[in-house]
Amino acid sequence: MHLPNVQLHEANTLEDAADLMDRFGPHAEFLAGGTDLLVDLKTSRSAADHLISIAGIDQARGISQGASGLTIGSLVTIAELNEADLHGPWAAIQDATCVMAAPAIRNMATAGGNLASAVPCADLPPILMALGASVDLWSPSGVRTIPVADFFTGPRSTVREHNEVLLSINVPKSGPRSGAAYVRFALREGNAIAVAAAAAFVQLNDSGQIDNAAVAIGAVAPTPLLVRDAAKLLAGESPSEDLWAEAAEATMKAAEPISDIRASAEFRRELTGVLTARALRLATERVEDATS
Amino acid sequence: MTIARTFTINCQKHSAAIEPHDTLLDVLRDKIQLTGTKRGCDVGDCGACTVLLDGVPVNACLTLAGTVGSREITTIEGLARNGTLTPLQQSFVEEGGIQCGFCTPGMTLAATALIEQDANPSDDDIKEALSGNMCRCTGYSGIMRSVKRCGNYNADGTCAKQDHQDGNVPEKAPENDTVGVSIPRVDAVDKVTGRAQYTADLFLPNMAYGKLLGSPIAHGLVKRIDTSKAEALPGVLAVLTGKDVTDTKHGVSPARYDEDVLAKEKVRHVGDPVAAVAAIDERTAEQAVSLIEVEYEELPAVLDPMSAIAEGAPLVNDRFERNINTHVEQVFGDIETGFAESDLIREEVFTGNHIYQCPMEPHASISTWDPDGTLVLYTSTQVPHYVQYMMAHVLNIPLGRIRVIRPTVGGGFGGKAATSPLEINSALLSQKIGRPVKMVYTREEMFQYGRGRHKQHMRFKLGVTRDGKIKAFKSEIHLDGGAYSSFGVATAYYAGSMIPTLYHLPAYQYDGYRVMTNKPACGAMRGHGVPQPRFAFECLLGMVADELGIDPVEIRERNAMDPETITVNDLDIGSCEYRATLREVKERSNWTEKYGKLPPGKGIGIGCGGFVSGAGYCIYRGQVQLSHEKGREPFQKKSIFPHANAVVKITEDGTAAVLMIGAAEIGQGSDTVLVQMCAESLGIPASRIRMRSGDSDISPIDLGAYSSRITLMGGHAVSRAGQAVVDSMRPFAASLLDCSEDEVEARNAKMFVRDHPDRCVAWEEVARQYFNANGPLVGTGCYRPPDGLGGDYKGATVGTSPAYSFGSAVCEVSVDLETGKVKIDKFTDYHDCGRAINPKTVHGQVEGAVIMGASETIMEDVMFDEQGKLLNPNLHGYLMMTIKDAPDIFSGIVDSYEPRGPFGAKEIGEGSTLPVLGAVAHAIANATGVWITDLPITPEKIRRALRAKEAAKAETPALTVN
Repeated sequence: MHLPNVQLHEANTLEDAADLMDRFGPHAEFLAGGTDLLVDLKTSRSAADHLISIAGIDQARGISQGASGLTIGSLVTIAELNEADLHGPWAAIQDATCVMAAPAIRNMATAGGNLASAVPCADLPPILMALGASVDLWSPSGVRTIPVADFFTGPRSTVREHNEVLLSINVPKSGPRSGAAYVRFALREGNAIAVAAAAAFVQLNDSGQIDNAAVAIGAVAPTPLLVRDAAKLLAGESPSEDLWAEAAEATMKAAEPISDIRASAEFRRELTGVLTARALRLATERVEDATS
Repeated sequence: MTIARTFTINCQKHSAAIEPHDTLLDVLRDKIQLTGTKRGCDVGDCGACTVLLDGVPVNACLTLAGTVGSREITTIEGLARNGTLTPLQQSFVEEGGIQCGFCTPGMTLAATALIEQDANPSDDDIKEALSGNMCRCTGYSGIMRSVKRCGNYNADGTCAKQDHQDGNVPEKAPENDTVGVSIPRVDAVDKVTGRAQYTADLFLPNMAYGKLLGSPIAHGLVKRIDTSKAEALPGVLAVLTGKDVTDTKHGVSPARYDEDVLAKEKVRHVGDPVAAVAAIDERTAEQAVSLIEVEYEELPAVLDPMSAIAEGAPLVNDRFERNINTHVEQVFGDIETGFAESDLIREEVFTGNHIYQCPMEPHASISTWDPDGTLVLYTSTQVPHYVQYMMAHVLNIPLGRIRVIRPTVGGGFGGKAATSPLEINSALLSQKIGRPVKMVYTREEMFQYGRGRHKQHMRFKLGVTRDGKIKAFKSEIHLDGGAYSSFGVATAYYAGSMIPTLYHLPAYQYDGYRVMTNKPACGAMRGHGVPQPRFAFECLLGMVADELGIDPVEIRERNAMDPETITVNDLDIGSCEYRATLREVKERSNWTEKYGKLPPGKGIGIGCGGFVSGAGYCIYRGQVQLSHEKGREPFQKKSIFPHANAVVKITEDGTAAVLMIGAAEIGQGSDTVLVQMCAESLGIPASRIRMRSGDSDISPIDLGAYSSRITLMGGHAVSRAGQAVVDSMRPFAASLLDCSEDEVEARNAKMFVRDHPDRCVAWEEVARQYFNANGPLVGTGCYRPPDGLGGDYKGATVGTSPAYSFGSAVCEVSVDLETGKVKIDKFTDYHDCGRAINPKTVHGQVEGAVIMGASETIMEDVMFDEQGKLLNPNLHGYLMMTIKDAPDIFSGIVDSYEPRGPFGAKEIGEGSTLPVLGAVAHAIANATGVWITDLPITPEKIRRALRAKEAAKAETPALTVN
């Protein structure tokens, strides 16, 4: 199996990337890790005459953590992200990175690519949504910041304009008594694709009630989805199995699953509920673990 | 736009002219010809192409060559230095980490990267690091052992070997390396260094590349083909369509040859070959294929046997009324009385799944014609002789004009047991253009070619007495055959014939229908036709045991087969230690403490099975001869020619032996066990024997690697050839030792006087004496199955064998009751394989069979849409277990000796699959309280059954209240 004819261009700066994209326009794609794009090209799922490698753009590298939050360069590989020493609830990002594909893929695949490809079952988006993350999109006219929750517009489609480079992912700092978790269901243990997934973030007040919470689901709708109804019903309540069940009801209602070779829509919806409760339970346990 | 690039590979600079679309895999294999890096799927699913970039594992198939830059590339060829294996490579060789070897380079590199980071990785770390490297042979057990042992290397390079915590008993250091000793595989070093060459790794001078165009629809008439655009593409050398090729049909079962070389009028499944192209490179051939325009008149497709068999359903092939390709009707004993005398009769419906062998190496063939008109065919096959026979049939040339070379084969499991379109079309294209032609399947084309396990729809009825004794059994099976006959006639018979080998069945009725559908043809896969009926039977027996309140192990013991028994369907059971396998698994798994005593979500189950040690009859009738020259021959109840044949030639200085036998090493280890048996009979160490099993010009016929026949049949041939050599040497030894000829014994590279080992002479000295006097020292040996095997009813040949294997397996699982997810925790398996020639290879076969069988029980299924298109022809949609899914396996061998086998040996490769499916299903039922009778047992099916059970409980409150 061979790649179709393509021209390969290397962009070492954001400006180069934008210039090249202007020149080759709709028949060009940015190439980062390539683990999705090359498969899509080989299997004719997508077509491109020009690949613009952005691997040399230094601004899109590196992970930084500080008072203002966590910044993940879009070219940070999944392996780098998985091995980083992430603080507090941010560590829940590694619930996702440690189950994605397999190590050789994780060594090449990038965090930005996992968002930009916009595959409905991608693992990073739900946890990033739950953590309130946003992405910076660079274009010659400036940088615009889009919440991850608003980034996706459909399967394999996002608000990113063709000449915009996804520069970084920014995760805000959360309060002291907070925890997060990502859980997913897949049909095998290794090198698997999520059939359903849920991410949760909870922040507790001093009396143990939920100050604010967020729940996002993956692989059960045309895009990863932040379930705002779930967040609403959690706020102000005390953690309990009944509460998790109510939140699960909300995510099951929000899910718009399809039936495919991996599961029926009905089963995906059922899993959404189970995983929502598990994610909330685990996120809450982590608050308690961190503060005990 | 071609660019010159320099790559640093294994500390050496390599310059290559690359194209922007070249992946690193394309460059390594096709431009630099470092072919140790394998192409298994091309989309990052299998890990066979794993290389290290600056020490970090990546998939070479997803790395654009143009983006590699100055990073250091390490391939498998770069690990060993100055001919010395790394400790990890040595571990893979010695711990059974290698079988077919196709995954080995990627696996070894991924493990190397891990060990470099952490010299003592945990089991979980190892599993994580190797989770992207698929292996279809080893069950990952040998791989775990290899990496774990290597993790314990001392700083000075010596090895502090870890205990075998998995329970597989370590063996004493071998005193010799012949029969009964676990020597490393004879091909292991080649495989762990990238030296082993698979068919796709070969590059012949002036070679062209071929590609097939497959049908995009499941059923239709070919109305028009326009090849003009393809022919006009620069670089295209030839295009063939149905009108250019012979009308002779081919297949497997001689009475049912029904496959065209290229579609003549009709296409019958998605992927059915319609045209073939040869071009200067594979890329051009791929492009040319896409330029061929075919107009089809689409016909309604039949996709399941139950609707295909209905009156008036569209016919896949006009030859077969109601699409019935084979109908089996067999009754043994008095079935009505049997059921009448039963205290309990239970009838259940079971459904199997479409399983594909998925060998890691894709099929590949290279054809070239010698100037004298001899076809030389390099091919990835399990059955070089049957390929030779079928090529002769299709090409209408004598078998003597066809030389089949079998390079290293990366797994088969039955998927490479028939003559493939690649073999035939590469030969025709090569003939046309006068150049060698290489053809390799993509992973998707492999699925479209098919030949996987038949999906079987089974209705089983079992009658037993109150104490669990089987009185009667009735089986009705519809096998989903796909579009061609292939092995299917035999499959349909096997589905019935093997059931009575395990238990005494006083009365047995089998109705089998192999029905054609518009899907890729099904064929013979590991356990040929038997695993699904065996799964169903074992489940049914478990249900009956529960209903009667008899322990599931106990009910098996009460009905277990005994040695020296003729079964109800006239199969001749010789040695049989089935009861011993039951006893051992029961004890080792702590069955009695666990069964019925585990918490919800935890389960334990048992399954049993066994298989033939080689089919009793050849697939075709008559002698070795071109089929066109002879009419349909009457069946004779004996083998017309020997099925396994060997020649041993001793080198002129007597220090080495060359063993020649056409038995196909496909990863199962046959080269190794044959070398050991030959060495035993010669009386020299196995290390002095060089195996030549891959070339029909060198090695005499062996029928191949199917029906688990090589150890028994090939083993007899090689040991008889060795014995013939020793017999030739006797007069010379007797004269040197001053004894009589019949007092001469050969062992440990010496010839000595019986009972006087000190009166000895070097083996090679006797061989030299022989050569000085007589010239070449050669011995030949052959084996034919006993005459008269089988009964006198239709289909009585299928299931006959000189010997039968037996085995039992206990499976332990954890089920997540909320999601239905199954984790298989542990397997305990005991097998009666006769005497184990090489225990480590036996364990390797069992471990591989357990994972393959468990994987097909819970996750594997080839899926089709309503138009007959494959939905998951790849290794991310078609799920096979990864190393993270693999349970711990204990493999044990019970004491057994088969008088009809060489050195007491029987089979292991297929019989070891058979207990697995039933054991997994039983364990899941035990954990969940619901039997799933429809394979694969997916989480969704488990959840559905649990919901149904909860609903039923809710509807009948009276039962729970009281």
